[in-house]
Amino acid sequence: MNAPNSVLLASHGTEGAMAAEQMAIKMCNAQDTGLHHLIVVPTLWQGMTGDDWLNNGSTRNTFRRYLESTLEKEVEEHIARVKQLADGSGLSYTNEIVIGEPDECLLKATEKHKYELVVVGSPRPKGKSGLRSRMMTQPVSRALQTSVLMVPYPHD
Amino acid sequence: MVYTKKSPALFIIGVIMLAIWYTAYSGMLAGYIEHLAHGKKYKYGSELTSIPLYFGLVAAVVGLWQWFGTHTKGSLDYYSSSIAGGMFILLIAMLVRWFLAPEIAGVSISMGKVGDTGKYIHKLLGLNYIVIGIVTGLIIVNVFKIPSWAENGVRLSRLGLKTGVILLGTLYSAAELKNLGGLSIVMIGFFVLGSVGMVLWIGARRNIPNSMGGVLSAGMGVCGVSATVAAAPVVQAKSVEIAYTIGTILLWGVGCMFVFPVVGQLLDMSYVQFGAWAGTGILNSAQVAGAALAFQPDGIETLKVAEIFNITRVLILPIIVLWLAVWYVQREGEGAKKINVAEVVFQKFPVFVLGFILLFALSSTGVFAPAQHYKGKYFDNSPAKVKPSKLLTTEKIAVLQAEFDKIQRADRKAAVQRLMDNTKIMSIEDDTQIRGLINAKVMSKKANKILKGAHKAVRHTAAKIKAFRDWITWLFAFGLVGLGMQITLKSMKQAGGQPAVIGGIVGLTKAVLSLVVVMMFIQTTI
Repeated sequence: MNAPNSVLLASHGTEGAMAAEQMAIKMCNAQDTGLHHLIVVPTLWQGMTGDDWLNNGSTRNTFRRYLESTLEKEVEEHIARVKQLADGSGLSYTNEIVIGEPDECLLKATEKHKYELVVVGSPRPKGKSGLRSRMMTQPVSRALQTSVLMVPYPHD
Repeated sequence: MVYTKKSPALFIIGVIMLAIWYTAYSGMLAGYIEHLAHGKKYKYGSELTSIPLYFGLVAAVVGLWQWFGTHTKGSLDYYSSSIAGGMFILLIAMLVRWFLAPEIAGVSISMGKVGDTGKYIHKLLGLNYIVIGIVTGLIIVNVFKIPSWAENGVRLSRLGLKTGVILLGTLYSAAELKNLGGLSIVMIGFFVLGSVGMVLWIGARRNIPNSMGGVLSAGMGVCGVSATVAAAPVVQAKSVEIAYTIGTILLWGVGCMFVFPVVGQLLDMSYVQFGAWAGTGILNSAQVAGAALAFQPDGIETLKVAEIFNITRVLILPIIVLWLAVWYVQREGEGAKKINVAEVVFQKFPVFVLGFILLFALSSTGVFAPAQHYKGKYFDNSPAKVKPSKLLTTEKIAVLQAEFDKIQRADRKAAVQRLMDNTKIMSIEDDTQIRGLINAKVMSKKANKILKGAHKAVRHTAAKIKAFRDWITWLFAFGLVGLGMQITLKSMKQAGGQPAVIGGIVGLTKAVLSLVVVMMFIQTTI
């Protein structure tokens, strides 16, 4: 297979997705290959105040701001890491941060722009820590019109 | 941003409420209501012919304005945008309380009693309007999603619960509050500090990060998600640690809400015992209220006990958050964010508890009930008030006499003896003893029914207090259905990792130990 000219790296901060970053860079070995980084913040975070009712508005707002800033920091670190790798390989790096269901966001991204390859991480094996939120679901694998590279989970 | 949605939803909700009222008022529903009553008197007849009329009119009128009116940015728009969601929750609560729960009870009754328990399956599983309402809320948010026009209003459920707690202040006597308060301080103090310490101890042995130990100990120890929300920024918890902790607590809380009432029924716990156990053993404060109402859906004695425990927990919350902040700073040193003690106490203080105290104080002055009122009831033993038909008959006295030896306590024996001698309860003290005997379920159902009749013959609930009780029941039903709509399976699915293991150990230990303490040391009445 020839090296693709445009690659979509889709991740939502899991360890599996981090393994996919390395592989995406390796796949784009030609100079000026476009690497688009789709980062999804899953909607599960919207339900994270659960059924709290005892706290006052100020405490809840402090929590929401704290959670948002924590997620923002994690996303920024994520982008900085991939950008550094991409710049080092001379790739043309762009990114996009969206909030939504990871699988739906991936589909939307591939419908919006044609890529030659989509790179995603593998689902987390049982017993490994991390969020329960999948990017590559059955409906996505059926609907995707682009070649997909699913990178194995980084076992120690 | 304009928050009010131009949608027919609120108007339609209003029309549905008015249709319920009209069909009930005109008698069109008579056959169906008879079917729901299962041969007894339908409990909600007066509610059906009043509540949907008032709220239906409000919803229809405001709904028309929201649908066709012009809305501009501002406070009016912001507050009016919450009405549709609030009415949506109320409609669900109405449908569940008046129709769905009685239907389920009917199916359960037709299936017969369960084995040796002598109870129908819906009683045993606590499948009443509260539990079914919460489950309905869960189904709506997880299967259908909350409609955009209702999103703002669903948050009003918190206001409903807080108002319910404030109004509960009217129903306690000083003696009750003193006894329950003392009991809850001892129980909550021991179990909160014990479980916070246990999480930190196990966490240190399993080498979990300090931030994870901190946030998990608050959630498992104090009041579930509320404590997690309060403590997470203080101990600088990472996002995945928050997700794990909240997922674990929600899963535990929802599980406990179903399991606790079943255990309570099987062990024939009294209202005080169950309220104390739920208030201590259930992690999440919302589910404490849910379990209390699931255990006793048509009365609020259990809720009164459980909510005192909830209030004690929430008053302890700022102290625990401060403790964790100091603990975290000591562990993390320079890396930890310094905190302002006064700011934490001020921000975390539950203002609604002041409302509860205020209403309790007002109630104690007798402003809501006759001067001689006690616990919202007044004792009237005069011949004019006790009709001859309410006095004990020879047959009833014979039933009590036959079971007299079942009574162990001398004070209760003396009270029952005086009741049999005088054919009515003679004093407030005797009435307290008789109520304790009823709650203890020492005697047969037949004898208990006679005792309940004797109690009702002399005690009367003041009209304002009765109104408060009805409002409280509705506010909690409204609040809990709305909270059900905020529990997402996506967040519950995040339960896992070390928090699930540690949470499981600590949660189970707390539930079992508190059950043992309650059964051994807590009396059937306060």
